[in-house]
Amino acid sequence: MKTIIITKGVDYPWLHDILPGHHPLLVPLCNKPFIEFFIDFSILAGSTAIRIISDETINDVADFCEKGDRWGIDISYANSLPSDSLNKILEKNSKFCSNERIMIINNILFFHYNKNADYRSFFASLPSGDVLGFDQKTLSLTGSPVASENSRETPPLSTVVLDSAGQYYELAKDLLHNRLLHYVLPGYNNEAGCYIGRNVVIQKSAKIVKPVIIGNNVQILAGSVIGPAAIIGNNVIVDRKSTVASSIVMDNTFIGEQLEVERKIASGNVLIDPESGQSLTMEDPHLLSSISQTGGSATLFLRIVHGCIAISLITLLLLPYLLLRPILELRGSWSTKTTIYHSAKPRCKVALPVTTLRKKGMLSALAAFFSLDRYMWLFKVLSGHLDLIGSRPVEVTQESKAHLRPGVFSYAEAEDWPQNDIDSDIVNHYYAVHSNPFKDIAMTQKALFNRIHQEDTV
Amino acid sequence: MIFQLDTSTDTTIGIALLQVRIDASNCNELQKAFSLWLQQSANIVFDCSALDFIDSSGLGTIVSCLRKALEHKGDLRLAALGPKVSLIFELTKAKQLFSIYPDAASAVASFNAATAGQ
Repeated sequence: MKTIIITKGVDYPWLHDILPGHHPLLVPLCNKPFIEFFIDFSILAGSTAIRIISDETINDVADFCEKGDRWGIDISYANSLPSDSLNKILEKNSKFCSNERIMIINNILFFHYNKNADYRSFFASLPSGDVLGFDQKTLSLTGSPVASENSRETPPLSTVVLDSAGQYYELAKDLLHNRLLHYVLPGYNNEAGCYIGRNVVIQKSAKIVKPVIIGNNVQILAGSVIGPAAIIGNNVIVDRKSTVASSIVMDNTFIGEQLEVERKIASGNVLIDPESGQSLTMEDPHLLSSISQTGGSATLFLRIVHGCIAISLITLLLLPYLLLRPILELRGSWSTKTTIYHSAKPRCKVALPVTTLRKKGMLSALAAFFSLDRYMWLFKVLSGHLDLIGSRPVEVTQESKAHLRPGVFSYAEAEDWPQNDIDSDIVNHYYAVHSNPFKDIAMTQKALFNRIHQEDTV
Repeated sequence: MIFQLDTSTDTTIGIALLQVRIDASNCNELQKAFSLWLQQSANIVFDCSALDFIDSSGLGTIVSCLRKALEHKGDLRLAALGPKVSLIFELTKAKQLFSIYPDAASAVASFNAATAGQ
């Protein structure tokens, strides 16, 4: 069996209040995007491949799901026109369907299921037609049943009406209170009703009251109370002495000091009252604001500092580079190979000349002393593809993923202690998150100094 | 801002109709006006029916007005908070500081009821 998931963005305008600019399928429910629930369910139902079709751009969905390797299922993508009927969409995707049984999730964002139930044999025995649905929002099957006998038990499967922020809030509350064990949810779950993500800092006097779901990279500062019935997204800071109860805090949100968020949805600088549907865009960043992961004045300042140092180094090293490189190439001590790496710019690649410098003789040592093997990389700092110092650039392969802030020099080179790639990655990641422009200047000096002592410079 | 005195009962109550927006740009104006209103009556109702937006400076000003009214042995009561303004009052816990009424008439009546009870 295969699965086709069809969404029409125009049907979910209310979601744009909660997470503006996000595809509806990427809006999280209990910190798990809607699309992931569908992928889980498709696997439970015995699908081997999924095609996601949308009349909106689905680049973000494709970036999130990629080819489905994370779930061990093939995921592909296609676009449709807003005016396309279901038959037209199936016709357009006939190659994907290829006479197989197809489960079509049409225009639904979510339905209840239970991960412990047997959907595989149930779906294999069902005749074609609608399984769930109402008003053009259906879960249906095409093709003939595979199994001849009906499954003995009908597994739990029920629709959910999701037409407003209030219904979204009620659904999240229902999951949190009654159905946590029906789904695979993100985070560590050492005790019932409590899911906590990675890199979560909970200060000593902060209090967590179950049931709660807390995402990754969350800071809960002193005196705060989280819960009961709180869902905290990823990259969230809850400042001192604030309370978040019966509320949803979406990703990248800062909750200011001594605030009370109760029965609300907070998303960036927007506060939504699910009961009345009223939303308020806050103008006070110290009360409620969005946390920007990239960009902003700090990043701009960092880029300016990196750019200035890169220009200085380019100017200083120009003469040694022009003199030493031709000589070393003639001697066979300098070899260059161009490789494609992930760029610092999102979804971009950059071709970098990787130089191997063999330290034989004084001239090679001098070239290594000046880090001339990285000279051409300095220009990529000016074009924004690399930072001056950051994590080690990662070569583009089918499996590889972009690292945080690839740089000409790496923090691991500055620290000198990492013994293997994993150590280096940890050091690079730590500094990429915790660095500042002044620390970067010092770390670049250290990296330049440490590279002098390396055996072969690459 | 429109200010008027209600003298229909024994207690003189000031009723101020707040403007659409109170923020850093105009909160000083409210602060100054409130000092003048206090000279006419220590019991004041802020009619917020027209108020659509308030930021933290505006909220700080209203809290400071409450403090001044209490210092003058009076009270500041709020009436007809809109949903957006109400959200800010809930978020900052300012709702716990004020007596809030659905409309100006019931806020005025609450002063009179308190006087009658004494």
